[in-house]
Amino acid sequence: MAQILPPFTSSVKLKYVKLGYQYLVNHILTFLLIPIMLGTALEILRLGPVEILNVLKSLRFDLVQILCSSFLIIFVATVYFMSKPRCIYLVDYSCYKAPITCRVPFATFMEHSRLNLKDNPKSVDFQMRILERSGLGEETCLPPAIHYIPPSPTMEAARGEAEDVIFGVIDSLLQKTNLKPKDIDILIVNCSLFSPTPSLSAMVVNKYKLRSNIKSYNLSGMGCSAGLISIDLARDLLQVHPNSNAVVVSTEIITPNYYQGKERAMLLPNCLFRMGGAAMLLSNKRRERRRAKYRLVHVVRTHKGCDDKAYRCVYEEEDPQGKVGINLSKDLMVIAADALKSNITTIGPLVLPASEQLLFLFTLIGRKIFNPKWKPYIPDFKQAFEHFCIHAGGRAVIDELQKNLQLSAEHVEASRMALHRFGNTSSSSLWYELSYIEAKGRMKKGDRVWQIAFGSGFKCNSAVWKCNRSIKAPTDGPWQDCIDRYPVHIPEIVKL
Amino acid sequence: MDHYFMILYSLPLLSLLYIIYKIVDQRRHQGCYILDYQCFKPGDDRKLSTEFSGEIIKRNKNLGLNEYKFLLKAVVSSGIGEQTYAPRMVFAGREENPTYEDGIFEMDEFFNDCIGKLLSRAKVSASEIDVVVVNVSMLASIPSLASRIVNHYKMREDVKTYNLTGMGCSASLISINVVQNIFKSHKDMYALVVTSESLSPNWYSGNDKSMILANCLFRSGGCAMLLSNKVELRKKAMFKLKCLVRTHHGARDESYGCCIQKEDEQGRVGFHLDKVLPKAATRSFVDNLKEIAPKILPVREILRFALVSTLRKTLQRAKGGARPVINLKSGVDHFCLHTGGKAVIDGIGQNLNLSEYDLEPARMTLHRFGNTSASSLWYVLGYMEAKKRLKKGDKVFMISFGAGFKCNSCLWEVVRDLGDGNVWEDCIDSYPPETLVNPFLEKYGWIQSEDISTFKFPE
Repeated sequence: MAQILPPFTSSVKLKYVKLGYQYLVNHILTFLLIPIMLGTALEILRLGPVEILNVLKSLRFDLVQILCSSFLIIFVATVYFMSKPRCIYLVDYSCYKAPITCRVPFATFMEHSRLNLKDNPKSVDFQMRILERSGLGEETCLPPAIHYIPPSPTMEAARGEAEDVIFGVIDSLLQKTNLKPKDIDILIVNCSLFSPTPSLSAMVVNKYKLRSNIKSYNLSGMGCSAGLISIDLARDLLQVHPNSNAVVVSTEIITPNYYQGKERAMLLPNCLFRMGGAAMLLSNKRRERRRAKYRLVHVVRTHKGCDDKAYRCVYEEEDPQGKVGINLSKDLMVIAADALKSNITTIGPLVLPASEQLLFLFTLIGRKIFNPKWKPYIPDFKQAFEHFCIHAGGRAVIDELQKNLQLSAEHVEASRMALHRFGNTSSSSLWYELSYIEAKGRMKKGDRVWQIAFGSGFKCNSAVWKCNRSIKAPTDGPWQDCIDRYPVHIPEIVKL
Repeated sequence: MDHYFMILYSLPLLSLLYIIYKIVDQRRHQGCYILDYQCFKPGDDRKLSTEFSGEIIKRNKNLGLNEYKFLLKAVVSSGIGEQTYAPRMVFAGREENPTYEDGIFEMDEFFNDCIGKLLSRAKVSASEIDVVVVNVSMLASIPSLASRIVNHYKMREDVKTYNLTGMGCSASLISINVVQNIFKSHKDMYALVVTSESLSPNWYSGNDKSMILANCLFRSGGCAMLLSNKVELRKKAMFKLKCLVRTHHGARDESYGCCIQKEDEQGRVGFHLDKVLPKAATRSFVDNLKEIAPKILPVREILRFALVSTLRKTLQRAKGGARPVINLKSGVDHFCLHTGGKAVIDGIGQNLNLSEYDLEPARMTLHRFGNTSASSLWYVLGYMEAKKRLKKGDKVFMISFGAGFKCNSCLWEVVRDLGDGNVWEDCIDSYPPETLVNPFLEKYGWIQSEDISTFKFPE
């Protein structure tokens, strides 16, 4: 009777087994509760209504005792609710949209490159090859000072760009949320490469005439993951200060940092980084719960600085001619994957459903005890999140993460389209991607979003948000005029 | 039934007790203590003497007689002595074209010296540090300076780093504020705060008078501090933070623009110090005092001040008599003032009615180390400690001003008797010196009487 068992791997029934297992493990408490409830119901029916009334009558309750018990219970409930950590809400956010005059289509970029680097045709070729494979579109923007031939990165031009981007984005945020400048309690500004004295946060305080007891912080040098570091700082501050509003501004000022030399590794950032910025309003006021878009669930930070290779992979230095630029090492992808793995190890237990955690535990035990040759189980993060916002660092980064986390094309669509339309806007790219998902009408109440960003140092930070209310496709926002054209197919190589 | 009632009452009571215990436990862990601090003393080869300053001024081809006169006046009235420290590239003759590497090297020299000493003295290993906050106003590098420290000392992966820049001379109290807030929501942490200023990339070589002033005042220095909120280290700590108040006057255009980095007419970037700086400083100082005084002074002093002010207002005809001054000394034993310059120290001393004994630490720090920007407060604290003035229970009041215009102040309580010599060890016995007259005046005083048409610099 040796029959060949039907091959399980090709059986459709396996999919249902997997679904059944997940449903069982994730709702185990409900499943345990059902027999208990059934038992109690049967017992009650058995006793009969008269018996139950007799039992109740025999419990003699004194008025004083009733009052004491109810008082205690109410008091305990109040203290419990007061001592819970406060909920942090993201009320709304806005992204910067540069004027059309700042656009840099491929033709403009290559022409400027040829004129600026006329003695180095090899470097011009290199830039062309990078641009072809970059995944950027024709509508990305560079600040006005860079449009000059040669670029004129004076401090005044840099301040001008900072004012345009930051004031533009804060004006739009104040209008969207009906927030008065005097109501801002905490202000955090992060911009990696431009730090004038007084800081950009002081510039904001000056322009909007904010209160004199504002708590302002200006972070810089923290790379493309600085936006999530600012959110982490805002969260710590909002835990300490009740009833407060925090405004976080994330941007990157390109003007002073456009590399003007000819080293190839340093020309890479010129091809990818573009103008952009975002401002977020976070609050811990209970009345914001009604109109807040998202609630912050977790922020997890991982810093791989102790490893020298990781530390040197994004490094600002002078080239042999003395020109300052950012050197991107070739092992960037490997280091990013490694940093992501560390971050996932910490965030996995916090967000994965019980079914995935059990599977991971079983395979781990199995590998240790039974057979080390078993493949390590990569938890399915699609179970934990509905949307993914991956920092649009470059096409390679998005490809690598899609492979590592086994995501479908739809999950990474927001990142790819943000890279195409806006380029790598550094710390604010996550917010352009979130805006894309909203503009496409895909955000429903209860959806969980995972934002992942990488930055120099080498850091990998992630934030988990939960959507607080169903969001109608917004009529304003950076995607309003072009959302219908997206998604576009981005070819591997765009021939220039 | 009795058992039922016992359970009925004891359950909520037990849970109530548990919740109260949790709240009390959380409060215990919210204190912010300084375990140790280490100021930076650069090597003797970086000392800037009067003679060498003359050399530097002579080599700058952009300066003429008018600028020399101005510089002489500025340097003589600055209160700075012969032993302050300048960045290395000045000694190498490269102040016209500092490189990016100079700036990074300056910071590395400071980090490797101070942080190593601090960690080994406190017997804390780098992998135990949970938070790193670095504030250096005028240098932004990729990766950040905080990441440099994490890499050099091989810190853990989940360390929280924050790199503050552009926040001026009051930034060290802002870093302490960040740490204080983090301590309130997390238990059992070690925090490392590193404060300094980057002078190399910001040396001004033009001839705009408001910008050359910065070259005369700012000097190299830095400080690293180890803070903690661990309950078991409370008795071993040096200081406990009682309160911290920040005031930001950026909303006023005048205050915002009085201390700003910008380009001069020739396109050289420099740090512009405006004439209205003292006024902006006083205004923000008064606002800050209004907020912090009620928190740190005993009730009788506040009542007395309120009484005197209202009496004076109602009795308008009493034109004579000075305005009532709040007596900070009733709640504060020592004053740590930002050594912004002689004028700043004199101004605060006059406003608060402080004696020479109170102002001595700040004046001596200005003389010995110059204006080291954000870290100056810690050198002043070091002087007080070296002079053995700090006893258990004493209150130390720190106040600093910064670009923006910000005024930050805080109050520390001394946890145990302190007396370590730290950076002042080798020279504390010669302080205070008999005379503070600047040797510049003797050597170059004749410039004041020169005429521009006949002026020729002697070889």
